Amino acid sequence: MRFISTRNLAFHCVWLTMTLASAFGQSAGHHDVVIKNATVMTVTHGNITNGSVYIKDGKIAAVGENVNAPAGATVIDAGGKYLTPGIVDSHSHIALDDDVNEATSPITPHMMMKDAFDYQDKAIYRALAGGVTTSLLLHGSANMIGGQAVVIKHKYGASRDEMLFPNAPQSIKFASGENPKRVYGGRDQLPSTRMGNFAVQREALVQAQDYMREWDNYNEKVKRGDKDASAPKHDLKLEALADVLRGKLLVQIHIYRADEMLTEIAMAKEFGYKIRAFHHALEAYKVADQLAANNIAIATFSDWWGYKQEAWDAIPWNATMSMRKGVRVAIKSDSEDYTRRLNQEAAKTMRYGGATEEEALKMITLNAAWIVGVDDRVGSIDVGKDADLVIWDGYPLSSYGVPEKVLIDGDVYFDRALPGLGTTHY
Amino acid sequence: MQPSAISRQLSAKCRLLALLGMTILIGVLPIAAQDTAVVLKGGKLLTVTHGVIENGVVVMQGGKITAVGAASSVNVPSGAQVIDVTGMTVYPGLIDSETSLGLTEISAEAMTNDLVEMSDEIMPHMHTSEAFHAESALIPVARMNGITNAVVAPEGADTLPGQDSFIQLAGASATEMLLIRDNAMPLNFTGNERRNKGGFEKRKFPSTRMGLAAQLRQAFLDAQDYKAKWADYDRKKADAIRDKKPEPLAPKRDLKSEALLSYFDGNKTIVLAAESPSDLETAVSLATEFKLKFVLNHISHSQPVLDYVASLKVPVIVGPIYEAPKEDERYDTVYSLPAQLYKRGVKIVFASYSAHNVRNLPDQAGFATAFGLPYDEALKAITINAAEIWGVADQLGSLDAGKTANVVVANGDPLDVKTDVKQVFIAGRAVPMTDRQVRLRDEYSK
Repeated sequence: MRFISTRNLAFHCVWLTMTLASAFGQSAGHHDVVIKNATVMTVTHGNITNGSVYIKDGKIAAVGENVNAPAGATVIDAGGKYLTPGIVDSHSHIALDDDVNEATSPITPHMMMKDAFDYQDKAIYRALAGGVTTSLLLHGSANMIGGQAVVIKHKYGASRDEMLFPNAPQSIKFASGENPKRVYGGRDQLPSTRMGNFAVQREALVQAQDYMREWDNYNEKVKRGDKDASAPKHDLKLEALADVLRGKLLVQIHIYRADEMLTEIAMAKEFGYKIRAFHHALEAYKVADQLAANNIAIATFSDWWGYKQEAWDAIPWNATMSMRKGVRVAIKSDSEDYTRRLNQEAAKTMRYGGATEEEALKMITLNAAWIVGVDDRVGSIDVGKDADLVIWDGYPLSSYGVPEKVLIDGDVYFDRALPGLGTTHY
Repeated sequence: MQPSAISRQLSAKCRLLALLGMTILIGVLPIAAQDTAVVLKGGKLLTVTHGVIENGVVVMQGGKITAVGAASSVNVPSGAQVIDVTGMTVYPGLIDSETSLGLTEISAEAMTNDLVEMSDEIMPHMHTSEAFHAESALIPVARMNGITNAVVAPEGADTLPGQDSFIQLAGASATEMLLIRDNAMPLNFTGNERRNKGGFEKRKFPSTRMGLAAQLRQAFLDAQDYKAKWADYDRKKADAIRDKKPEPLAPKRDLKSEALLSYFDGNKTIVLAAESPSDLETAVSLATEFKLKFVLNHISHSQPVLDYVASLKVPVIVGPIYEAPKEDERYDTVYSLPAQLYKRGVKIVFASYSAHNVRNLPDQAGFATAFGLPYDEALKAITINAAEIWGVADQLGSLDAGKTANVVVANGDPLDVKTDVKQVFIAGRAVPMTDRQVRLRDEYSK
């Protein structure tokens, strides 16, 4: 349902008022909340059994066995339940209304995913019900250099701007391998090979260097007071690429094969930018040392494989083997389906390679947040961070634990006990 | 040392011990001669048919389970190879009720796929058994997680895409692995079988559900006519022989009709797939019109008519439960479908509907329990219920004496994603616990 009917609206308003009144007292805006008696899985400093978290103004204000909270704070008793940070999905294409790929040119760095962001997409809600509170919505992998991502908080039912993660760094999507080859090769265009892929990428970056030089020259002239200096033409595409070279964008690269990872690393050195993360990265285990040495994270699947040639060497130990070589590892969904149960996907790393509970949980929280560039704000239960939290009715790193309540910035956005969708703001 | 570092070290030691245990298990077993009894001793047995036995014993010999029970009540045959599985969970091999195992290797590589023949919608004379690739690298990956049997079905892109096979995931060749050829036949009526892609100029018959239904009905009528024609011929031939007159010309054989006829007598099972209530009712009325014996498949969006589903008194292959709910539905509408069906007395089974992800079949059963399906029923849905539906309950689906020794030893709850399968026995033989992925892991761990 994209638009709420008048009748439903009335119903929702009444219900919303009741919900808020019962859950948070009367005051508007952010509410003081205390979650008590939970097994608090902090991600950064172990578990606290029978722990409490005090939330003030949407932020985590205190964490511990006992916390000092004002008497007026709303208390949520999470006895026998588990509390984790909200899940961060570091690779998602939901809520883009099928506008994932501007597959008309292999270089489209000026595409802004925010312009396609369909904030009423039910996929946001379904992921929220699975404990996801932040997602990186990326351009697809048809192009060697795709568009710029948007970071959202899953505040389903809120306005568009409320759902944008405030001041999140900007990411850009690169791709490699079979997808660009297939898309453009299928049209008898460049690129149709991996040589073509990298040539197209290099050529674009060279153009961006020229563009930057022109602007630097111009700015220099202006600085010298040259009244005759004429400004070069503004070019959105080259401007975006220049931002890559200036290090203003986090570079997120769709990639499968180990050899291509090494080529991308070399390309980044050639042009002087940094790679934030390799996505999919199913062969990372083959070159994990090099990834660790270059501080490149991976956002990978737990056990997907064999769906195409470049996924043939995928192994479910990829995450743990890479982690033990010092690579920062995230498990991501790349899927409207899997984003709803990333906790189970993370749990698989405990089985394949013996990740500890904390290591597994980190792969869908703090490490994923680092890839997105928001690890100082979300991804763990630490004082000062956004109160994006999930209360699970059972152990979350299993087939069985499901979210009972999901809070974002201290507000309950999903409550399984509620009728209808279980949302509080819709 | 930080506490977390200690726990890491400890867990590393635990891992080492577990690995050693696994090695012992594998290392010892091949020594046993084929007819030597193998005894699994001390494990927690999930028998499926007669409860849980702590500290139990399973005896396997000649490819069969010969005894199951509490340690105190089972006699261990002399000369048997005894394997201590204390601390482990032992359960019957899992059965996946719909896969494309053996029909695909790399999804995007067309030449490795034999999933469905798209040249026509009525293809009952296609036999998955004739495409089944016994040496597929996917099969060891699946059985490493305890899946020992599966139904191999053609992809559901045609209304009648061909006939299924019931396989065992180990054997010297396809002949050994294909336990039952043509065990069942899918009849798909989900709307996805329509030839309606692209603009009107690109469409061809049948591009609508009316077209699909009319075409199906005609195919069944053709088969009935074919049967009558042969009966007529047989009668005339007998008359001619009796009267010593020249024999009549035999009718031309029609493979499609012959394939369909084998499902008309109600002995073999039609797997009737639909999603929405309207498609479900159309499909059921077609099946009823031609007196087909059927089980239901998918019905992921038929929540409004579950009482009607129950009234049909047929089993349901449910899901996948990961199918997205409809736009206005609650997030758990499909997750809870197995529980909703179970509550109404419907026998359910799960399927992976996959080839590469067959190994995750038990996760789905576990997840369904988080939405109301009782644990025992979830386990039954990937063991005994499946064996019953596919007509092999006398051989598979539980730890019972007399059944095929398809037995799994794991370090815990079979339905939890974290559980690691340590050893799989198929027909009493310990299958090598390795696959392409294990070999890559080991190669890059050096």
